[in-house]
Amino acid sequence: MSTSATAEMLVTAPGRKPRGLAQAIMRRVGTAVIVVWGAITASFVALTLMGGDTVQSIAGATVKVTPELREQIIAKYGLDQSLLSQYFTYLGGVLRGDFGTSYSLRRPVLDAVMEQLPNTITLLVSATVFGVVLALAVSILTAHRGPRIHGLFQGLESIGVAVPQFWLGIMLITVFSFGLRLFPSTGANGPIALVLPTIALGLPVAATLSQVLRDSLEKTLDEPFIVTVRARGAGEFVVRVGHALRHSLVSAITLVGWLSGALISGAVIVEQVFSRPGIGRMVFSAVVNRDMPVVLGVVVIAAIFYVVVNTIIDLLYPVIDPRLRS
Amino acid sequence: MLDTPIRRPVRLAATGITVIALAASLAACSPAASGPAGGDPVSGGTLVFASNTDTDCLDPHQSAADVAALYARPILDSLVSLTDDGQVHPWLADSWEVSDDGLVYTFTLRDGVTFSNGEVFDAAAVKANFDHIVAPETASALAAGYIAPYVGSTVIDDSTVSVEFSEPFSAFLPSAATAYFGMQAPTTLEQDPAELCKVIVGTGPFISEGGYTAQQGISYVRNDDYDWAPETAEHSGAAYLDELQITIVPEDSVRLGSLSSGEVDAIASLPPVNVATVKSDSALYVDSAPAPGGNYNYYPNTESGVFSDIAVREAFREGIDFDTIVESVYFGEFAPANSPIAPNTAYYNEGQESAYAYDAEAAAAKLDAAGWIVGDDGVRVKDGERLEIHLPMVAGAREQRDTLAAQIQAAALDLGFDMVIDNVDIGAYVEALGTGEYDLFEISWQRSSPDVLRTLFDSANIPDGGFNTAFSRYSSPVIDDSLSDALATLDTAELTDLYGTAQQEIADQAIVFPQYVFSYILGARSNTQGIAWEPQAFPTFYDAWKSE
Repeated sequence: MSTSATAEMLVTAPGRKPRGLAQAIMRRVGTAVIVVWGAITASFVALTLMGGDTVQSIAGATVKVTPELREQIIAKYGLDQSLLSQYFTYLGGVLRGDFGTSYSLRRPVLDAVMEQLPNTITLLVSATVFGVVLALAVSILTAHRGPRIHGLFQGLESIGVAVPQFWLGIMLITVFSFGLRLFPSTGANGPIALVLPTIALGLPVAATLSQVLRDSLEKTLDEPFIVTVRARGAGEFVVRVGHALRHSLVSAITLVGWLSGALISGAVIVEQVFSRPGIGRMVFSAVVNRDMPVVLGVVVIAAIFYVVVNTIIDLLYPVIDPRLRS
Repeated sequence: MLDTPIRRPVRLAATGITVIALAASLAACSPAASGPAGGDPVSGGTLVFASNTDTDCLDPHQSAADVAALYARPILDSLVSLTDDGQVHPWLADSWEVSDDGLVYTFTLRDGVTFSNGEVFDAAAVKANFDHIVAPETASALAAGYIAPYVGSTVIDDSTVSVEFSEPFSAFLPSAATAYFGMQAPTTLEQDPAELCKVIVGTGPFISEGGYTAQQGISYVRNDDYDWAPETAEHSGAAYLDELQITIVPEDSVRLGSLSSGEVDAIASLPPVNVATVKSDSALYVDSAPAPGGNYNYYPNTESGVFSDIAVREAFREGIDFDTIVESVYFGEFAPANSPIAPNTAYYNEGQESAYAYDAEAAAAKLDAAGWIVGDDGVRVKDGERLEIHLPMVAGAREQRDTLAAQIQAAALDLGFDMVIDNVDIGAYVEALGTGEYDLFEISWQRSSPDVLRTLFDSANIPDGGFNTAFSRYSSPVIDDSLSDALATLDTAELTDLYGTAQQEIADQAIVFPQYVFSYILGARSNTQGIAWEPQAFPTFYDAWKSE
């Protein structure tokens, strides 16, 4: 996997002696900046290639654009400049923290995004925590517990991975909101409104993670050093949590990096189903309305989030696995 | 109201004629169906209403979204109000006079009206509002266009104001009755337009200090000082409800579920397929109002392609049983349309309905006569050209319009048309419209004024590059002249004649294939009563109350 390869590079740069963590972090941050810049450029190009009349999109798809209105919009948004100059203007703006003005919301993109971001971050964090904790618990409890338990949980995990989040969300609402009336079906009022969206978003994550984690745990439990640990009289809990788990974490953590991307895309669906405010729902309507500045702004923020998570993970490898330290 | 074919804040054009009385629509329910619990109105309580879409901006002077009017109406009153007979009634204006040349409207304002921030409602406030609507920085997407001939307002004294137009403009008063022309506190209009997208201040029965939050909705509290309801309302004085909350729940199934479970008291946009379920639940009821204005129609491109031949247009209109298809797709909840505009639009011409009757044999004969002969694959051919027609549609169409299109496609094939549905995004859809690269164009355009005919059929509105609204691209002096003459008169008999002539000519030239009359379908709990309807068919809450 490329991330773990980077991790090794990071620690043992080929050809010369590693100069320590600071340099490694610098290199990693440099890569991160390039990735974010690439994401901005790619989405700018993609949205440009989508074609269509930008002036019409700004005015609203079904508003008649008079010549005066057209001139007004062209002047206001600098659409008479060349694409390249628009691109650099945009890039310069992003560096200053100015993501432009939303076409349909009539306000700065950054304001609009920042208003919705806390809701999405809350959901992403709670879903990640939920997914990771559940996966850890399930895998630790079920690794090497006989074919029946193994088969049962493998089946459940396959379902968890395969089930569409949209359907899962509707089912959770039907049972727990409309049926048992335990949780609200919509909105973001307090922690109680967070429960069902967290499960809908986190369950597929938990299923994927626990599949990988159990597999890796089972391999570790077969290693000779486990026999040694047991021979020293360690109990089952100590064997699993104290010794085997740490060995198995590297593969799972690599996966968390990838899952952070999956979570962002899942949030678009989960926010829609649970009528939860957030940037997922915002980008959904921005795409529908061809609101380019909002789409670009959200892409950039999602890219930053993704890069930050993966950078942290890369830096975590040596902490978790001493063998990766020089 | 134009509804774009996808679920998004709907562009809406509104000048009101028709208020659908609650009683009338309840009578339309089957006898077995449940209704509101009944009893005398009581004050108090909170009503939670789940809406289906966001608005881009709360200020209806700026926004064209139909929900902007819905969310702003509790806060804003208008100069006049309308009833379903097309009559204009006093509201914030006690009376008005129109000059003989039809250019100047002089309003005498009601005394003692104040905005909720303490400002006095007077002639200067009216002027400030109209000037705000047309100001370039407001960038009004709808309201300004509906008073396009506006020249300016003049304050005559504190309670008298005149509004002047550059040409006679009979569509003005119905427009002024809508929430798009709601009166806002003058000092607030001096703010940045973006501020008004969140918080607006009016003279209305409710106040919202927190304002509108995107994707979440808006909460209001009662304006206890309110004492200037229009005579068209059911009661006077302050509203019954202590609080009103509008939340935004985009998923149909979740909205319906939260109504059934009692999480909310009423919901917007109940899908036709769920109407029977709601009616069968004794704790719930359904209320609906047909929207006036342009129906959901297919418009043939008369400028180029096979539909430039009137015989082919007539054959398509006659040869497909649109009424039966509409009945089956919408479970009878949307009425089949037999006219470009809804029957509850003022000056509707019933006489032209017969032009839209189904006659498959006559249609086949017309195609044969025009030289279109059925080929081996069932598609007609003329001089080696297949009878192929293209309909651009935006994916994820609302109200199962894609299902409807598929059924029409099958019926068209029986007739010998190869109808191709091109799935496009909204940008490509508008682009096809601008360039005329379509044979059929599908759209609905609700607006409660017969002037909607000018929007949809005046040759001045034929799309040329960008978005415009004469989708059939047909030029007829008969239509153009009668519709522009109608703007210059307020005489009922003349208006009946002029709008009638235009509708008949549209039928004679076969330049529209009407599909269904859109109805706003609302679901509510039985203890939630008194919800009324705005002219362009959306719910209002001034008379609403909760029993128990």
